[in-house]
Amino acid sequence: MSLFTPRRIGQMSLGGSLITYALLLAWAAFVIFPIYWLVITSFKSISDVNAGPVYLPFIDFQPSLHAWKDLLIEDWDDTRRAYVNSIIIALCSTALSVLVGSMAAYALVRVTYAPRFSTILLFVLSLGGALAASLAYGVDWRLAGAVAVAIFVLAVRGLGNRFAATLGNGDILFWMISQRILAPVVVVVPIYMMFQSVGLLDTRTAIIVTYAVINLPIVVWLMFDFFNSIPRDLEESAQLDGATMFTVFREVVLPLSKPGLAATTLLVMILAWNEYLLALFLSTADAQTMPILVAAMNAGERGILWWTMSAVIVVMILPVLVLAIVLQRFISKGILVGAVKG
Amino acid sequence: MSDLTSESAARRDAVLPSRSRGDRLNEWLDRNSRHIFLWPAVLLILVFSIFPLVASAVIAFARIRLQAGGYRVRFVGWQNFEKQIFGSEQFHFLGTFGAVSILGWAFGLAVTAWVIWWIVSYLRSGWTLIGTIGRLFPWGLVLLLGWLLAVTTLSGRPFGTLLTTYFYVLVGCGIQFLIGMGLAFLCSRAIRGRNIFRVLFFLPLMITPIGIGYTFRMMADTSKGPFAPVWQWAGLGDFSWATDPWAARMFIIIADSWQWIPFVFIMLLAAFENVPRDFNEAAQMDGASEWQIFREITWPQILPVAATVMLIRVIEAFKIVDLPNIMTSGGPGIATESMSLHALFAWRSLDLGQASAVAYLLLAVTVITCVSFFNLVVLKRVRT
Amino acid sequence: MDAKRIEIRGMDKHYGAFHAVKDLNLTVEPGEFLVLLGPSGCGKSTALRMIAGLEEITGGELILGGRDVTHVLPKYRDIAMVFQSYALYPHKTVAENIGFPLKIAGASVADQKAAVLDAASQVHLEQLLDRYPRELSGGQRQRVALARAIIRRPAVFLMDEPLSNLDAKLRGAMRAELKRMQKDLGVTTIYVTHDQIEAMTLAHRVAIMRDGVLQQLGTPKEVYRDPANIFVAGFMGSPPMNFVTGRSTRQSIRIGDHDVPLAGLSVRDGREISVGFRPEDAALCDPAEATLTAEVFIAEMTGDETLVTLVGPHDEHLIVRADPDLQIDDGERVGIRVDPDRRYYFDAETGARLRPDGTG
Repeated sequence: MSLFTPRRIGQMSLGGSLITYALLLAWAAFVIFPIYWLVITSFKSISDVNAGPVYLPFIDFQPSLHAWKDLLIEDWDDTRRAYVNSIIIALCSTALSVLVGSMAAYALVRVTYAPRFSTILLFVLSLGGALAASLAYGVDWRLAGAVAVAIFVLAVRGLGNRFAATLGNGDILFWMISQRILAPVVVVVPIYMMFQSVGLLDTRTAIIVTYAVINLPIVVWLMFDFFNSIPRDLEESAQLDGATMFTVFREVVLPLSKPGLAATTLLVMILAWNEYLLALFLSTADAQTMPILVAAMNAGERGILWWTMSAVIVVMILPVLVLAIVLQRFISKGILVGAVKG
Repeated sequence: MSDLTSESAARRDAVLPSRSRGDRLNEWLDRNSRHIFLWPAVLLILVFSIFPLVASAVIAFARIRLQAGGYRVRFVGWQNFEKQIFGSEQFHFLGTFGAVSILGWAFGLAVTAWVIWWIVSYLRSGWTLIGTIGRLFPWGLVLLLGWLLAVTTLSGRPFGTLLTTYFYVLVGCGIQFLIGMGLAFLCSRAIRGRNIFRVLFFLPLMITPIGIGYTFRMMADTSKGPFAPVWQWAGLGDFSWATDPWAARMFIIIADSWQWIPFVFIMLLAAFENVPRDFNEAAQMDGASEWQIFREITWPQILPVAATVMLIRVIEAFKIVDLPNIMTSGGPGIATESMSLHALFAWRSLDLGQASAVAYLLLAVTVITCVSFFNLVVLKRVRT
Repeated sequence: MDAKRIEIRGMDKHYGAFHAVKDLNLTVEPGEFLVLLGPSGCGKSTALRMIAGLEEITGGELILGGRDVTHVLPKYRDIAMVFQSYALYPHKTVAENIGFPLKIAGASVADQKAAVLDAASQVHLEQLLDRYPRELSGGQRQRVALARAIIRRPAVFLMDEPLSNLDAKLRGAMRAELKRMQKDLGVTTIYVTHDQIEAMTLAHRVAIMRDGVLQQLGTPKEVYRDPANIFVAGFMGSPPMNFVTGRSTRQSIRIGDHDVPLAGLSVRDGREISVGFRPEDAALCDPAEATLTAEVFIAEMTGDETLVTLVGPHDEHLIVRADPDLQIDDGERVGIRVDPDRRYYFDAETGARLRPDGTG
């Protein structure tokens, strides 16, 4: 019997499983080691970090709590503010985008829409015109906006049914999902100006709304396919029993979509929790989030405070880890429905 | 029987409250629910996505000067774009041009020949006007990228942020796909402890990209990092990742892959586990080898998921900014600068027009690449 | 009585260019059990869904109990529906499933409980109220769906192939229960199915549809004994009616070697005519005295009878019921004698029934 013949029916050969385990363990080491290094670095003294690599706590070096002391005691105010900000922002933006996104996804599954192509074109044209006027020729933006709205409404009325080409639900869905293509740098400048003009820069509200919007496409995409897989009979039956669309959504659709909702929520929350670039633009002090705090440990002249930075990153991982373990059984099940039909 | 019905009629009157009790608000909500469900999302996207997009387009054609109490805007037409493509920023965006080497000519001509072959075989297979117009974009893009590669790096000169971005997208996503799929395949087999592997492999996805950037800077440090003894031993103690362009790019791809392989892994693992066992067993009965089973049965089954997963990955990869920003600041020179980072640097130097122009160029290449991928690969190979 | 009359006047359904239901006119009397019968894709389910309000009615009117409900939301139509899939909510218990219509209507918890018990006892589900649908057998799920439909005491029941997911034995039992329950409750019922046995056994009247057009409306006996056209004739009965086609010549039709007389029909010469007869209206006989001759393909003994499948003069398969003790060899040439009073004549081109008093 060779190394590569199965020992029993339905099992792998000895050689096959050895190779499999070797490869998986190798990758596990590759995944774990940077995380291990992060954790031990947060317990290293400054000299241990700077003097060169030491690997094993209590053997190679004596663990020190100085970085944690800095983070949790001396700079507690900064840490707490960033942590609270991050938690509020992640929770609220996730709740907002999951709620709004799944409602839209459900509507796109069950209701037929037919927006007129000419209306959309007109809308973009009047928006661009108003922007050009207010930016380039110094027209007051309120005035430009009002004129644009007026022109838009008049033109839509005037056109009537003359250009009847319409778009369908699929187009709306594609439009929503395609927003994910936009790199944050494409939109961040106008968003910055927009929040500046209403005085919301450096507030949690601004970041919450922005995160909710950039994650909306993911929610719509994943939930659309999930809702699509729910048998329509269930909803129609409830409808005949007198349930409104809201009741059907709350009583039938959402409870049946728990795996999808869990996976989507986890994914969106991780993205919001870890986002850096937009937070950098939209916050200066009060609304700073944890990723900003990580970057702040690169203290310029004094170099990078590796020990404290590691501690911050570890602190950031913990809640996500807990959440992921709680929701673990939903993850692959929930994500897959979306992926299979994509 | 008759008392059953009369009793039930009485019960019904008792049980069902009269309909007029439903208040007006609920009635209104019900009647307009089709709008109430969709419009919040549409409005959010219009205000925070479409409006900025249009505004960015306006800014891309302007030069903005910040002044006391606001900013001054002057329209400059295509100047911002011209500067990137033909002008003083050309080296930054496209790369440094000069005489083309023999290798460059050979590669450029090869790419051209390949595109011509592609065009001819498409025209032969029965063409449509829309199909041809749609394919003009990928044809043009492949020609552009091929010749850019030929005149820059293959002729011994550095290339710009466009090719760097494509390097991250193509090489990075390629590596991530192969390793992610390999791991998913191994994990989908009948082995013990696969739930542990599953959770373990998922970890990197939970870490903030900027944290990963710094962590990998630690890892790669040749004097204080964990592998310092190895570098010393190999006589590379003074080597720095940040001085060699290709090493620096690979360095970023390694960190990017470390983070994103879990994503590919988790999706493909679910796909592998979703392949019905019957197929596999039927193939075994027919005497197929493991490799044949994978190629003939498993692979076609997971292809739709794989294509979708990679489409998402490619979309996200085009936006790469945190890792090069943290790990190398785009250096050495501009060797690791992605287009997103390019735009970010332009914004930091308060050149908003340039920032928007670069951002729009990024948008254009992303859209062309992703739409081409979707239409030519996802729709064609997977959905026929 | 709560039962209401349903009047369907010129109902149409278009999906873009596709015309799913064409000018449907139908009146269902209060308390009547009407079965909509037809092959899949004939528009029967669409018609039912339009009555329920789940599909928009694109033309015509729907009157429920004297009230025009053509454009009324489903929840105001006072209709209950049983779906083919039963549409049980997997995340709710049996009791919650049954009580859901009342919960939606805002009934008090105590009332809901009493009504659920009442409805559950009618379908013998009292013992299973705390289970989840996945823990029930097919027949039990079917009962839950029924209980959920009757708990509201609706004016109209709609049923969309409710028995088609059950195995054959259970289907027979449920059919009987369903019929009895409808009779006891006296609720106007429209029942959609593609199974003609269900239609025959359950219905007061059967409406047969094909390609969106109502073909015939009548009692089961009428549609079986007096089909309006070749489609209805071929659809009703199991095994179905046999057809042989031939060209008409002087008061008879030439089929193979035989001339089948055109009893009292006036038909121009040279027309393609189909003659239909049911398996029980024919008998095997000596070729000499036969209406037509055929070759035995296979004989199947089913217990109380033998079904003999034969290959006719134009290679058509014909089925004849015969005595269970019949001994016959495959390939044998035999005659078929068809009861002269039980022959049906159809225009082979249009499928229209040709009657003795009609003109051809």
